[in-house]
Amino acid sequence: MTAGDPRSQELTALDEPGGDTISAEPEQTTTATGREALDGPFNTRQLLRLDEALRVADQQTGLTFSVYIGDLDEPVRDSAEQLHKRISHPETAVLVAVSPNQRVLEIVTGHEARKRISDRDAKLAALSMAASFAGGDLAGGVLSGLDQLATHAGKH
Amino acid sequence: MSTVLIFVGIPLAVILVVAALVHSGSERNRSNRRYRPGRPYEFAPIWFLSAPEQVTAGSGEAAQPAQRPAIEAGIIEDSAGQRVLPGPVGGASDRW
Repeated sequence: MTAGDPRSQELTALDEPGGDTISAEPEQTTTATGREALDGPFNTRQLLRLDEALRVADQQTGLTFSVYIGDLDEPVRDSAEQLHKRISHPETAVLVAVSPNQRVLEIVTGHEARKRISDRDAKLAALSMAASFAGGDLAGGVLSGLDQLATHAGKH
Repeated sequence: MSTVLIFVGIPLAVILVVAALVHSGSERNRSNRRYRPGRPYEFAPIWFLSAPEQVTAGSGEAAQPAQRPAIEAGIIEDSAGQRVLPGPVGGASDRW
């Protein structure tokens, strides 16, 4: 069902109706951040799995999981905590900060999240992530770490 | 002459085709983009969240106090403009 002038409606991502479809130019559906993510160390399949893992972890636990991959300023722990504070509702947020250059991994859990994910559980996830990273598997390590953290947090 | 062509020419052609296929593969996409321990990692920092709008601008704005909004309810900040959380944060660290 259409209403009004069909030319004023956005039928496709392209300017003119009747032109090429999005499948002809799939890059039009990619946002600026999406393009940045594709330039990163992960391929499309790994990005999709990471997105799925974050979404499932958030839904199941009610906490906010996030993954930062990049350099951290010294002292590393403090800069990871600063990043954690930038998440809205940091009390229930869990940040996994990975710095491949410094070969450092930090897991920061907020005040409320800490009651669900004890420091011991976080250390256990950190150990398995570090083992994957040492083998060069960045995406696999992040995924298994998120899975472990979400499992320890339990359902909300 | 034709014996040489069959027993040298054809194997040589096969070898060349296989070598060309190997070198024309997606080398650019696979091996160089991957992270390997010990090699420099030169990608831009990236932050993954299920909902990206949950990240606030943070301390980068602290340099321009005039543009900062007034302190919102429920958010406590110290003199440096950093957020103060009600309780201690936990977590773990590791190296590899």
